[in-house]
Amino acid sequence: MSSEELIAGQAQELRRGTVVLACLALLDEPQYGYALLETLNTADIAVDGNTLYPLLRRLEKQGLLDSEWNTDESRPRKFYRISPAGTRVRAELTREWQDLVASMARLTKETP
Amino acid sequence: MTTNTLTERYVREVVRRIPADQRDEVADELRATIADTVDARDGADREAAEHDVILEMGDPIRLAASYADRPLALIGPVFYPTYIRLLRMLLSIVLPIVVVVTVAVDIIENNDVGSAIGTGIGATVTVAAQMFGWLTAVFACIERWQPKGGNAQDPWTPDRLPDVKGTDKQAKGAVSSLVWYGFLIALIVWQHFAQPVILGGNRLEVINPALWSTWVMWTILAGLAALMVIEMIRLAARRWTLSLAIAASVAEGLFAVPLIWVLYEREFFNPEFLAQVTVFDEFYLITAIGVAVIGVVEVVNRFRLLSRGE
Repeated sequence: MSSEELIAGQAQELRRGTVVLACLALLDEPQYGYALLETLNTADIAVDGNTLYPLLRRLEKQGLLDSEWNTDESRPRKFYRISPAGTRVRAELTREWQDLVASMARLTKETP
Repeated sequence: MTTNTLTERYVREVVRRIPADQRDEVADELRATIADTVDARDGADREAAEHDVILEMGDPIRLAASYADRPLALIGPVFYPTYIRLLRMLLSIVLPIVVVVTVAVDIIENNDVGSAIGTGIGATVTVAAQMFGWLTAVFACIERWQPKGGNAQDPWTPDRLPDVKGTDKQAKGAVSSLVWYGFLIALIVWQHFAQPVILGGNRLEVINPALWSTWVMWTILAGLAALMVIEMIRLAARRWTLSLAIAASVAEGLFAVPLIWVLYEREFFNPEFLAQVTVFDEFYLITAIGVAVIGVVEVVNRFRLLSRGE
Protein backbone atom coordinates (compact mmCIF):
# COMPACT_ATOMS: atom_id res chain seq x y z
CA MET A 1 0.00 0.00 0.00
CA SER A 2 1.46 3.36 -1.03
CA SER A 3 1.71 6.18 1.50
CA GLU A 4 -0.91 8.20 -0.43
CA GLU A 5 -3.40 5.37 -0.05
CA LEU A 6 -2.46 5.01 3.59
CA ILE A 7 -3.04 8.70 4.23
CA ALA A 8 -6.34 8.65 2.31
CA GLY A 9 -7.55 5.67 4.37
CA GLN A 10 -6.54 7.21 7.70
CA ALA A 11 -8.05 10.57 6.74
CA GLN A 12 -11.32 8.83 5.95
CA GLU A 13 -11.22 7.21 9.39
CA LEU A 14 -10.74 10.67 10.94
CA ARG A 15 -13.68 12.14 9.03
CA ARG A 16 -16.02 9.29 9.84
CA GLY A 17 -18.36 10.46 12.60
CA THR A 18 -18.02 14.14 11.80
CA VAL A 19 -20.80 13.85 9.21
CA VAL A 20 -23.44 13.45 11.94
CA LEU A 21 -22.38 16.66 13.67
CA ALA A 22 -22.16 18.47 10.33
CA CYS A 23 -25.73 17.41 9.46
CA LEU A 24 -27.05 18.47 12.85
CA ALA A 25 -25.25 21.80 12.48
CA LEU A 26 -26.76 22.48 9.05
CA LEU A 27 -30.34 21.43 9.67
CA ASP A 28 -31.72 24.39 11.63
CA GLU A 29 -33.45 25.23 8.35
CA PRO A 30 -35.27 22.30 6.73
CA GLN A 31 -33.43 20.79 3.76
CA TYR A 32 -33.96 17.83 1.44
CA GLY A 33 -31.37 15.12 0.82
CA TYR A 34 -29.65 16.27 -2.34
CA ALA A 35 -29.51 19.94 -1.29
CA LEU A 36 -27.94 18.96 2.02
CA LEU A 37 -25.37 16.81 0.20
CA GLU A 38 -24.45 19.80 -1.97
CA THR A 39 -24.20 22.10 1.05
CA LEU A 40 -21.94 19.62 2.84
CA ASN A 41 -19.68 19.12 -0.17
CA THR A 42 -19.45 22.88 -0.74
CA ALA A 43 -18.40 23.19 2.92
CA ASP A 44 -15.61 20.62 2.24
CA ILE A 45 -17.33 17.86 4.24
CA ALA A 46 -16.79 14.97 1.85
CA VAL A 47 -19.68 12.51 1.99
CA ASP A 48 -21.39 10.28 -0.58
CA GLY A 49 -25.12 10.10 -1.16
CA ASN A 50 -25.23 6.40 -0.37
CA THR A 51 -23.84 7.24 3.07
CA LEU A 52 -25.81 10.43 3.72
CA TYR A 53 -29.35 9.35 2.77
CA PRO A 54 -29.49 6.24 5.01
CA LEU A 55 -27.80 8.31 7.75
CA LEU A 56 -30.54 10.97 7.63
CA ARG A 57 -33.16 8.27 7.97
CA ARG A 58 -31.30 6.72 10.90
CA LEU A 59 -31.03 10.07 12.69
CA GLU A 60 -34.75 10.58 12.13
CA LYS A 61 -35.48 7.16 13.65
CA GLN A 62 -33.31 8.08 16.64
CA GLY A 63 -35.42 11.21 17.13
CA LEU A 64 -32.63 13.67 16.35
CA LEU A 65 -34.28 14.88 13.16
CA ASP A 66 -37.90 15.63 12.21
CA SER A 67 -39.09 15.25 8.64
CA GLU A 68 -41.90 16.49 6.45
CA TRP A 69 -42.86 15.85 2.84
CA ASN A 70 -43.07 19.01 0.77
CA THR A 71 -45.43 18.62 -2.18
CA ASP A 72 -45.55 22.28 -3.24
CA GLU A 73 -43.20 21.73 -6.15
CA SER A 74 -43.62 19.30 -9.05
CA ARG A 75 -41.32 16.76 -7.39
CA PRO A 76 -42.30 15.80 -3.81
CA ARG A 77 -39.26 15.91 -1.51
CA LYS A 78 -38.65 14.90 2.05
CA PHE A 79 -37.33 17.78 4.16
CA TYR A 80 -35.36 17.15 7.33
CA ARG A 81 -34.78 19.57 10.21
CA ILE A 82 -33.24 19.19 13.63
CA SER A 83 -35.57 18.20 16.51
CA PRO A 84 -35.43 19.53 20.11
CA ALA A 85 -33.67 16.30 21.14
CA GLY A 86 -31.27 16.75 18.23
CA THR A 87 -30.47 20.29 19.43
CA ARG A 88 -29.44 18.94 22.84
CA VAL A 89 -27.29 16.20 21.25
CA ARG A 90 -25.72 18.78 18.95
CA ALA A 91 -24.67 20.94 21.93
CA GLU A 92 -22.98 17.94 23.59
CA LEU A 93 -21.28 16.81 20.38
CA THR A 94 -20.05 20.32 19.67
CA ARG A 95 -18.44 20.45 23.10
CA GLU A 96 -16.84 17.02 22.47
CA TRP A 97 -15.54 18.26 19.15
CA GLN A 98 -13.99 21.38 20.65
CA ASP A 99 -12.33 19.33 23.41
CA LEU A 100 -10.97 16.99 20.76
CA VAL A 101 -9.60 19.85 18.67
CA ALA A 102 -7.96 21.38 21.76
CA SER A 103 -6.42 18.03 22.79
CA MET A 104 -5.15 17.38 19.29
CA ALA A 105 -3.71 20.88 19.04
CA ARG A 106 -1.75 20.31 22.27
CA LEU A 107 -0.58 16.85 21.19
CA THR A 108 0.52 17.84 17.70
CA LYS A 109 2.34 20.92 18.99
CA GLU A 110 4.50 18.77 21.28
CA THR A 111 5.67 16.61 18.39
CA PRO A 112 8.21 18.52 16.31
CA MET B 1 -45.58 4.77 -12.02
CA THR B 2 -43.82 1.43 -12.33
CA THR B 3 -42.07 2.06 -15.61
CA ASN B 4 -39.00 0.06 -16.52
CA THR B 5 -36.49 2.91 -16.15
CA LEU B 6 -33.05 2.38 -14.66
CA THR B 7 -34.10 4.36 -11.57
CA GLU B 8 -37.22 2.26 -11.08
CA ARG B 9 -35.26 -0.99 -11.41
CA TYR B 10 -32.66 0.26 -8.94
CA VAL B 11 -35.21 1.54 -6.40
CA ARG B 12 -37.07 -1.74 -6.50
CA GLU B 13 -33.85 -3.73 -5.89
CA VAL B 14 -33.12 -1.57 -2.84
CA VAL B 15 -36.54 -1.43 -1.20
CA ARG B 16 -37.38 -5.09 -1.53
CA ARG B 17 -34.52 -5.71 0.92
CA ILE B 18 -35.78 -3.37 3.65
CA PRO B 19 -38.71 -3.84 6.08
CA ALA B 20 -42.09 -3.63 4.31
CA ASP B 21 -43.42 -0.73 6.39
CA GLN B 22 -40.59 1.55 5.21
CA ARG B 23 -40.56 0.57 1.52
CA ASP B 24 -42.88 3.19 0.06
CA GLU B 25 -41.28 6.11 1.83
CA VAL B 26 -37.70 5.09 1.07
CA ALA B 27 -38.69 4.45 -2.55
CA ASP B 28 -40.22 7.93 -2.91
CA GLU B 29 -37.20 9.53 -1.27
CA LEU B 30 -34.73 7.59 -3.44
CA ARG B 31 -36.61 8.48 -6.64
CA ALA B 32 -36.60 12.18 -5.72
CA THR B 33 -32.95 12.11 -4.72
CA ILE B 34 -31.80 10.36 -7.88
CA ALA B 35 -33.86 12.72 -10.02
CA ASP B 36 -32.45 15.76 -8.17
CA THR B 37 -28.91 14.51 -8.70
CA VAL B 38 -29.51 13.81 -12.40
CA ASP B 39 -31.00 17.30 -12.82
CA ALA B 40 -27.86 18.83 -11.33
CA ARG B 41 -25.64 17.18 -13.97
CA ASP B 42 -25.19 18.57 -17.46
CA GLY B 43 -28.46 17.90 -19.21
CA ALA B 44 -27.05 16.82 -22.56
CA ASP B 45 -27.53 13.08 -22.15
CA ARG B 46 -30.05 12.41 -19.43
CA GLU B 47 -29.83 8.63 -19.69
CA ALA B 48 -26.04 8.64 -19.34
CA ALA B 49 -26.36 10.94 -16.32
CA GLU B 50 -28.94 8.61 -14.74
CA HIS B 51 -26.59 5.69 -15.35
CA ASP B 52 -23.69 7.51 -13.67
CA VAL B 53 -25.75 8.63 -10.68
CA ILE B 54 -26.98 5.09 -10.02
CA LEU B 55 -23.46 3.74 -10.46
CA GLU B 56 -22.32 6.15 -7.73
CA MET B 57 -25.13 5.07 -5.42
CA GLY B 58 -23.60 1.59 -5.58
CA ASP B 59 -24.71 -1.97 -4.99
CA PRO B 60 -28.41 -2.12 -4.00
CA ILE B 61 -27.64 -4.82 -1.42
CA ARG B 62 -25.17 -2.50 0.30
CA LEU B 63 -27.50 0.50 0.22
CA ALA B 64 -30.44 -1.56 1.50
CA ALA B 65 -28.31 -2.90 4.37
CA SER B 66 -27.41 0.66 5.22
CA TYR B 67 -31.08 1.71 5.23
CA ALA B 68 -32.15 -1.30 7.27
CA ASP B 69 -29.16 -0.93 9.64
CA ARG B 70 -28.29 -4.53 8.93
CA PRO B 71 -24.87 -6.20 9.03
CA LEU B 72 -23.10 -6.86 5.74
CA ALA B 73 -21.31 -9.87 7.20
CA LEU B 74 -22.69 -13.36 7.73
CA ILE B 75 -21.18 -13.46 11.23
CA GLY B 76 -20.12 -10.12 12.66
CA PRO B 77 -17.36 -9.21 15.11
CA VAL B 78 -19.62 -9.66 18.16
CA PHE B 79 -20.20 -13.38 17.61
CA TYR B 80 -17.10 -14.28 15.59
CA PRO B 81 -14.90 -15.34 18.58
CA THR B 82 -17.62 -17.59 20.01
CA TYR B 83 -18.26 -19.03 16.55
CA ILE B 84 -14.58 -19.86 15.98
CA ARG B 85 -14.23 -21.34 19.47
CA LEU B 86 -17.24 -23.63 18.99
CA LEU B 87 -16.21 -24.60 15.46
CA ARG B 88 -12.74 -25.54 16.64
CA MET B 89 -14.18 -27.62 19.48
CA LEU B 90 -16.59 -29.43 17.17
CA LEU B 91 -13.95 -30.23 14.56
CA SER B 92 -11.11 -31.12 16.92
CA ILE B 93 -13.00 -33.08 19.60
CA VAL B 94 -16.49 -34.11 18.55
CA LEU B 95 -15.62 -34.99 14.95
CA PRO B 96 -12.81 -37.47 15.78
CA ILE B 97 -15.05 -39.16 18.38
CA VAL B 98 -17.93 -39.57 15.95
CA VAL B 99 -15.58 -40.92 13.27
CA VAL B 100 -13.91 -43.38 15.67
CA VAL B 101 -17.29 -44.69 16.85
CA THR B 102 -18.56 -44.99 13.27
CA VAL B 103 -15.45 -46.88 12.17
CA ALA B 104 -15.66 -49.15 15.23
CA VAL B 105 -19.28 -50.01 14.45
CA ASP B 106 -18.33 -50.69 10.82
CA ILE B 107 -15.51 -53.02 11.87
CA ILE B 108 -17.83 -54.92 14.22
CA GLU B 109 -20.51 -55.22 11.53
CA ASN B 110 -18.48 -55.94 8.42
CA ASN B 111 -15.08 -57.06 9.72
CA ASP B 112 -13.43 -55.53 6.67
CA VAL B 113 -10.57 -53.00 6.74
CA GLY B 114 -11.36 -51.53 3.31
CA SER B 115 -14.98 -50.93 4.21
CA ALA B 116 -13.93 -49.39 7.54
CA ILE B 117 -11.49 -46.96 5.85
CA GLY B 118 -14.16 -45.95 3.34
CA THR B 119 -16.68 -45.43 6.11
CA GLY B 120 -14.11 -43.38 8.06
CA ILE B 121 -13.38 -41.03 5.15
CA GLY B 122 -17.07 -40.73 4.29
CA ALA B 123 -18.03 -40.00 7.91
CA THR B 124 -15.24 -37.40 8.27
CA VAL B 125 -16.32 -35.46 5.19
CA THR B 126 -20.07 -35.70 5.83
CA VAL B 127 -20.00 -34.96 9.55
CA ALA B 128 -17.48 -32.11 9.17
CA ALA B 129 -19.62 -30.52 6.45
CA GLN B 130 -22.75 -30.90 8.58
CA MET B 131 -21.09 -29.40 11.65
CA PHE B 132 -19.70 -26.47 9.66
CA GLY B 133 -22.97 -25.85 7.83
CA TRP B 134 -25.29 -26.02 10.80
CA LEU B 135 -23.08 -24.02 13.13
CA THR B 136 -22.68 -21.30 10.50
CA ALA B 137 -26.44 -21.26 9.81
CA VAL B 138 -27.26 -20.95 13.51
CA PHE B 139 -24.77 -18.11 14.04
CA ALA B 140 -25.96 -16.27 10.93
CA CYS B 141 -29.50 -16.41 12.38
CA ILE B 142 -28.30 -15.17 15.78
CA GLU B 143 -26.42 -12.34 14.04
CA ARG B 144 -29.61 -11.22 12.28
CA TRP B 145 -32.17 -11.64 15.04
CA GLN B 146 -30.25 -10.58 18.12
CA PRO B 147 -31.82 -7.60 19.92
CA LYS B 148 -30.34 -4.38 18.51
CA GLY B 149 -27.65 -2.94 20.72
CA GLY B 150 -27.57 -6.08 22.85
CA ASN B 151 -24.31 -7.45 24.14
CA ALA B 152 -22.86 -10.79 23.15
CA GLN B 153 -24.46 -13.63 25.05
CA ASP B 154 -21.12 -15.12 25.89
CA PRO B 155 -18.68 -12.40 26.93
CA TRP B 156 -15.02 -13.25 27.13
CA THR B 157 -13.36 -13.15 30.57
CA PRO B 158 -9.74 -13.82 31.58
CA ASP B 159 -10.94 -17.04 33.28
CA ARG B 160 -11.32 -18.50 29.81
CA LEU B 161 -7.61 -18.43 29.09
CA PRO B 162 -6.36 -22.01 28.90
CA ASP B 163 -3.66 -22.97 31.43
CA VAL B 164 -0.17 -23.05 30.02
CA LYS B 165 0.34 -26.71 30.88
CA GLY B 166 -1.47 -29.51 32.62
CA THR B 167 -4.67 -28.10 31.17
CA ASP B 168 -6.82 -31.15 31.67
CA LYS B 169 -5.57 -33.72 34.14
CA GLN B 170 -8.56 -35.96 33.57
CA ALA B 171 -8.62 -35.78 29.75
CA LYS B 172 -7.49 -39.40 29.39
CA GLY B 173 -10.18 -40.55 31.79
CA ALA B 174 -12.82 -38.57 29.92
CA VAL B 175 -11.75 -39.99 26.55
CA SER B 176 -11.73 -43.55 27.87
CA SER B 177 -15.21 -43.02 29.38
CA LEU B 178 -16.36 -41.70 26.04
CA VAL B 179 -14.96 -44.71 24.18
CA TRP B 180 -16.48 -47.05 26.77
CA TYR B 181 -20.00 -45.58 26.45
CA GLY B 182 -19.68 -45.62 22.65
CA PHE B 183 -18.56 -49.25 22.81
CA LEU B 184 -21.56 -50.19 25.00
CA ILE B 185 -24.00 -48.51 22.60
CA ALA B 186 -22.33 -50.19 19.62
CA LEU B 187 -22.39 -53.57 21.39
CA ILE B 188 -26.10 -53.33 22.27
CA VAL B 189 -27.09 -52.19 18.76
CA TRP B 190 -24.81 -54.71 17.06
CA GLN B 191 -26.03 -57.75 19.01
CA HIS B 192 -29.62 -56.70 18.18
CA PHE B 193 -29.13 -56.41 14.42
CA ALA B 194 -26.29 -58.85 13.72
CA GLN B 195 -27.69 -61.61 16.00
CA PRO B 196 -24.16 -62.90 16.56
CA VAL B 197 -24.79 -65.99 18.70
CA ILE B 198 -25.40 -69.19 16.77
CA LEU B 199 -27.07 -71.84 18.92
CA GLY B 200 -28.80 -74.97 17.59
CA GLY B 201 -28.44 -73.66 14.04
CA ASN B 202 -30.30 -70.40 14.78
CA ARG B 203 -28.85 -66.89 14.96
CA LEU B 204 -29.83 -65.25 18.22
CA GLU B 205 -29.43 -61.97 19.97
CA VAL B 206 -28.31 -62.17 23.58
CA ILE B 207 -30.38 -59.40 25.17
CA ASN B 208 -34.14 -59.86 25.39
CA PRO B 209 -35.55 -58.41 22.11
CA ALA B 210 -38.82 -57.61 23.93
CA LEU B 211 -36.97 -54.79 25.71
CA TRP B 212 -36.74 -52.90 22.40
CA SER B 213 -40.52 -52.62 22.18
CA THR B 214 -40.80 -51.01 25.61
CA TRP B 215 -39.20 -47.87 27.00
CA VAL B 216 -36.51 -49.89 28.81
CA MET B 217 -33.92 -50.32 26.04
CA TRP B 218 -34.46 -46.83 24.69
CA THR B 219 -33.99 -45.29 28.13
CA ILE B 220 -30.74 -47.24 28.59
CA LEU B 221 -29.47 -46.10 25.18
CA ALA B 222 -30.60 -42.53 25.80
CA GLY B 223 -28.73 -42.54 29.11
CA LEU B 224 -25.54 -43.80 27.43
CA ALA B 225 -25.85 -41.27 24.59
CA ALA B 226 -26.40 -38.47 27.11
CA LEU B 227 -23.32 -39.59 29.04
CA MET B 228 -21.30 -39.39 25.79
CA VAL B 229 -22.52 -35.86 25.07
CA ILE B 230 -21.78 -34.78 28.65
CA GLU B 231 -18.24 -36.23 28.49
CA MET B 232 -17.67 -34.29 25.25
CA ILE B 233 -18.81 -31.04 26.85
CA ARG B 234 -16.66 -31.88 29.87
CA LEU B 235 -13.65 -32.31 27.51
CA ALA B 236 -14.34 -28.94 25.91
CA ALA B 237 -14.74 -27.24 29.30
CA ARG B 238 -11.59 -29.05 30.57
CA ARG B 239 -13.20 -29.69 33.95
CA TRP B 240 -16.44 -30.71 35.58
CA THR B 241 -18.95 -27.99 36.37
CA LEU B 242 -21.82 -28.35 38.82
CA SER B 243 -24.46 -28.46 36.09
CA LEU B 244 -22.45 -31.01 34.11
CA ALA B 245 -22.00 -33.24 37.16
CA ILE B 246 -25.73 -33.06 37.91
CA ALA B 247 -26.60 -33.81 34.27
CA ALA B 248 -24.19 -36.77 34.31
CA SER B 249 -25.86 -38.11 37.47
CA VAL B 250 -29.27 -37.95 35.78
CA ALA B 251 -27.89 -39.66 32.67
CA GLU B 252 -26.22 -42.31 34.83
CA GLY B 253 -29.62 -42.95 36.43
CA LEU B 254 -31.30 -43.21 33.03
CA PHE B 255 -28.79 -45.85 32.07
CA ALA B 256 -28.40 -47.78 35.32
CA VAL B 257 -31.90 -47.89 36.87
CA PRO B 258 -33.66 -49.66 33.95
CA LEU B 259 -30.69 -52.01 33.58
CA ILE B 260 -30.75 -52.91 37.28
CA TRP B 261 -34.50 -53.39 37.10
CA VAL B 262 -34.43 -55.83 34.14
CA LEU B 263 -31.55 -57.73 35.72
CA TYR B 264 -33.44 -57.98 38.99
CA GLU B 265 -36.60 -59.09 37.20
CA ARG B 266 -34.54 -61.61 35.17
CA GLU B 267 -35.81 -60.06 31.95
CA PHE B 268 -32.35 -59.25 30.65
CA PHE B 269 -31.59 -62.25 28.43
CA ASN B 270 -33.35 -63.44 25.29
CA PRO B 271 -35.62 -66.38 26.33
CA GLU B 272 -34.41 -68.36 23.27
CA PHE B 273 -30.85 -67.80 24.43
CA LEU B 274 -31.75 -68.96 27.95
CA ALA B 275 -33.32 -72.14 26.51
CA GLN B 276 -29.85 -73.17 25.38
CA VAL B 277 -27.62 -71.61 28.02
CA THR B 278 -27.88 -71.92 31.78
CA VAL B 279 -27.52 -68.67 33.70
CA PHE B 280 -27.15 -69.11 37.44
CA ASP B 281 -29.64 -67.25 39.62
CA GLU B 282 -26.85 -65.54 41.49
CA PHE B 283 -25.69 -63.88 38.27
CA TYR B 284 -28.69 -61.52 38.20
CA LEU B 285 -28.39 -60.28 41.75
CA ILE B 286 -24.60 -59.90 41.64
CA THR B 287 -24.67 -58.09 38.28
CA ALA B 288 -27.50 -55.80 39.42
CA ILE B 289 -25.56 -54.90 42.57
CA GLY B 290 -22.40 -54.45 40.48
CA VAL B 291 -24.13 -52.01 38.09
CA ALA B 292 -25.57 -50.09 41.06
CA VAL B 293 -22.21 -49.87 42.85
CA ILE B 294 -20.36 -48.75 39.70
CA GLY B 295 -23.07 -46.14 39.04
CA VAL B 296 -22.83 -44.72 42.55
CA VAL B 297 -19.01 -44.72 42.43
CA GLU B 298 -19.10 -42.87 39.09
CA VAL B 299 -21.49 -40.24 40.42
CA VAL B 300 -19.49 -39.72 43.62
CA ASN B 301 -16.24 -39.61 41.65
CA ARG B 302 -17.53 -36.83 39.39
CA PHE B 303 -18.44 -34.65 42.38
CA ARG B 304 -15.04 -35.41 43.93
CA LEU B 305 -13.31 -34.24 40.73
CA LEU B 306 -15.62 -31.21 40.66
CA SER B 307 -14.54 -30.21 44.17
CA ARG B 308 -10.88 -30.51 43.08
CA GLY B 309 -11.51 -28.35 40.03
CA GLU B 310 -10.74 -31.12 37.56
